[in-house]
Amino acid sequence: MTLRAVKMWCALALLCVSTVASAHRFHFGMTDISYNERTGSTEIVHTYTAHDIEALLLNLYGRQFDLSDPEDQDVLRKYVEGRFWIAAQDATRLPATWIGMTVDANSIVIYQEIGNTPLTRAATIRQGVLIDFLPEQVNTVNLNTDGAVRSLTFSRKALEQPAR
Amino acid sequence: MHLRPIPCVLAALFATSTAHADDFQLQRVLVEGARASQLGIADSAGAGSAGARDLAGRIAYRPGELLEVTPGLIASQHSGEGKANQFYLRGFNLDHGTDLATWVDGMPVNQRSHAHGQGWTDLNFLIPELVGRLDYRKGPYSAREGDFSSAGVAALSYANRLVKNIASATVGQDGYRRAMVAGSQEAAGGSLLYALEAMHNDGPWTRPDDYRKLNAVLRYSRGFANNGWSVTAMSYRGDWNSTDQIPLRAVQDGRIGRFDLIDDSDGGEARRLSLSGIWRRTDADSASKVSAYAIRNRLELFSNFTYYQDDPVNGDQFAQPDGRITTGIDATHTWHMHRTDTLSSDLTVGAQLQNDNIFNGLYDTRKRERIATTREDHIVETSGAVFIESATRWSDALRTVAGVRASNYRFRVDGDRLENAGKAHDTLVTPTLNIVYGPWASTELYANYGQGFHSNDARGTVATVDPKTMEAVDPTPGLVRSRGYEFGVRTEAIPKMQTSLAVYRLDFDSELTYIGDAGNTEAGDPSRRYGIEFSNYYRPLKWLSIDLDAAWARARSRGGNPDGDRVPGAIEGVAQLGVTVDPSGPWSGSLRLRWFGPRPLIEDDSVRSNASLTLNGRIGYRLANDLRLELEGFNLTNRRASAIDYFYASQLQGEAAPVADVHFHPIEPRSLRLTLVKRW
Repeated sequence: MTLRAVKMWCALALLCVSTVASAHRFHFGMTDISYNERTGSTEIVHTYTAHDIEALLLNLYGRQFDLSDPEDQDVLRKYVEGRFWIAAQDATRLPATWIGMTVDANSIVIYQEIGNTPLTRAATIRQGVLIDFLPEQVNTVNLNTDGAVRSLTFSRKALEQPAR
Repeated sequence: MHLRPIPCVLAALFATSTAHADDFQLQRVLVEGARASQLGIADSAGAGSAGARDLAGRIAYRPGELLEVTPGLIASQHSGEGKANQFYLRGFNLDHGTDLATWVDGMPVNQRSHAHGQGWTDLNFLIPELVGRLDYRKGPYSAREGDFSSAGVAALSYANRLVKNIASATVGQDGYRRAMVAGSQEAAGGSLLYALEAMHNDGPWTRPDDYRKLNAVLRYSRGFANNGWSVTAMSYRGDWNSTDQIPLRAVQDGRIGRFDLIDDSDGGEARRLSLSGIWRRTDADSASKVSAYAIRNRLELFSNFTYYQDDPVNGDQFAQPDGRITTGIDATHTWHMHRTDTLSSDLTVGAQLQNDNIFNGLYDTRKRERIATTREDHIVETSGAVFIESATRWSDALRTVAGVRASNYRFRVDGDRLENAGKAHDTLVTPTLNIVYGPWASTELYANYGQGFHSNDARGTVATVDPKTMEAVDPTPGLVRSRGYEFGVRTEAIPKMQTSLAVYRLDFDSELTYIGDAGNTEAGDPSRRYGIEFSNYYRPLKWLSIDLDAAWARARSRGGNPDGDRVPGAIEGVAQLGVTVDPSGPWSGSLRLRWFGPRPLIEDDSVRSNASLTLNGRIGYRLANDLRLELEGFNLTNRRASAIDYFYASQLQGEAAPVADVHFHPIEPRSLRLTLVKRW
């Protein structure tokens, strides 16, 4: 086979595929925020696709992560804390404690807590987790206040939103 | 007008495509710290990937041994520590890297038309702490791979940033000292990675190697690996004395000891500077990657393998200096297409260009002083390749990867001898096909076919006369085709265990070897290899992992050589057993047993090298959260074995005639190294 014949085959193959419709995966995260009257704390539960978090860390550090390892969890903690926060009226961030995380093959669930703080103190929320890595990432934040759930949607165009 | 169909179609495709953000070809999620599953990812049983933790857990006497994470691969040393390693894989004695393509961060490590050996692979510039992953692939089954990849490919990549900065200091027996610092910090919207390594090693030799190495890496990167770019500068320099292989007869009759040498001025120095860049863009429908590099390599190498056979007065020492500038660019683009819920495909096109501007030679020397010139050449070797590869998932159970590659090489040799100068070129088209069938949850079957090649030394492609003997020789072809066939299975049916089994055949049109100490290329006979590889990784408990690899190969020459059909040096078996214990307390440890199988040393199999079994170990103790002490032990059972054996004729001072004999380089006796590692 000559080089020219190869080129022709390549071109034909390209033409065949060029008409094919494409679809793509959806990337989303969910964050539930609620006030726990019993403890007096605001509780935050994030759920992300494990595949997306894995890809994020792989492409940030160039190596694989073992999220059952505390040291590797710490890397994810720093990443999440730098991109998700709740701020009070005076723009100071409410101090969220990292409780821990659970990992399975499909999803990663992260638990945070803002001690002795009612959700009513929250003025603004920033939720940019994964949005810097995946431009199509959409994060939904469910605010559970007094039994009513209000959903906010965060994307590259809306990284920060008022909590009230 | 000449029709250019590919650019036209590419333009049409780009005009209609839309950009989305996504990622593909990623590893599966790692939740238990096990070695990443290759099910659904690898196209053959002999392909795989090792992560940073796997590599950090290896016990490596020298950086090139990191490649031994590839099941069935052995990296050894037959001379001074600064020389390129000697590699063995799939029934090959790969010499210094012929038929094993090695890449570091998108840069080819193999040096073609090298003064000492085709495909010279010097990995001494590698800093293990920076390696994020190593991907390996055995057999010529990918259109993406070109020169030297018939036995296998190992591609290492450095991380763009480190989770923690690291500093380590090592002291060891035989004059081993190493200090290394590496770190990364956010700078100007990106990440700056730096590493500096200084090392000294004498080895157990009567005349110390006095190997001094200085190594530096500086990288700036922006964005993510799949959507971003990086620019990297690397610098390596090494100087060493060599203890080359010694004749067995002289050790047996007590003339010299096992760690003695014959020529006390052998040695060398190497310099490597590189500047490289990688740019990648990935979205939902496509992925693009462009990498470019410029590498400057300088080598001075003084060897003496036959001692006083050719020149009883001055000795047979020869010099093989090699200086070169290698530049290249690789580009790939992938379209990702979902046709139906189950049918999807990735179509990849790629182009590779590489140019080597080489000045090398072969000189007779005495105590590193030139006394005669055998040959002196200026070589310009330019290659270009295009490939197309289609990876299609036909259903949940069936996927295929088919590709074709066209490679073109141009050789120009200007030398001190007009009859060995000239131009040559060669083109090769190589198809590949991989079929993966896995109707079960945790088992896949593979059928692989592919053609590969290696390029031959440019000097052989235009040669008409042997510069040493002045006898007429025929020029050799530029490219030599190989054909591989493989059946394999990979299973994770046993919980917490990954097993793969491969049976392969690999044919070469001609085993071409450049005879470094003669200055010509020898066109060998066709060859055929059969082999079986069995690889297991078992992690029954979170703190315990066991790996066991075994490989057997049968290599035969097929040219009807009346002397016999064995391929000298071809390895017949390799096995490794590793146990790693890492409980949550301060202690951790690992033991690794390596069996380096027997090799025939001449065609009629009448002289063979023995197999050897070595045991390496490591104990780690965590002094504080980020402070570790590690004790590594090499050849713990203190075996007396050979790192390499050759059979050829040599003559020592006091001998009246050349004597055909085994020449060997011993493995290092038991030695210990103690390392303190601080992370912050």
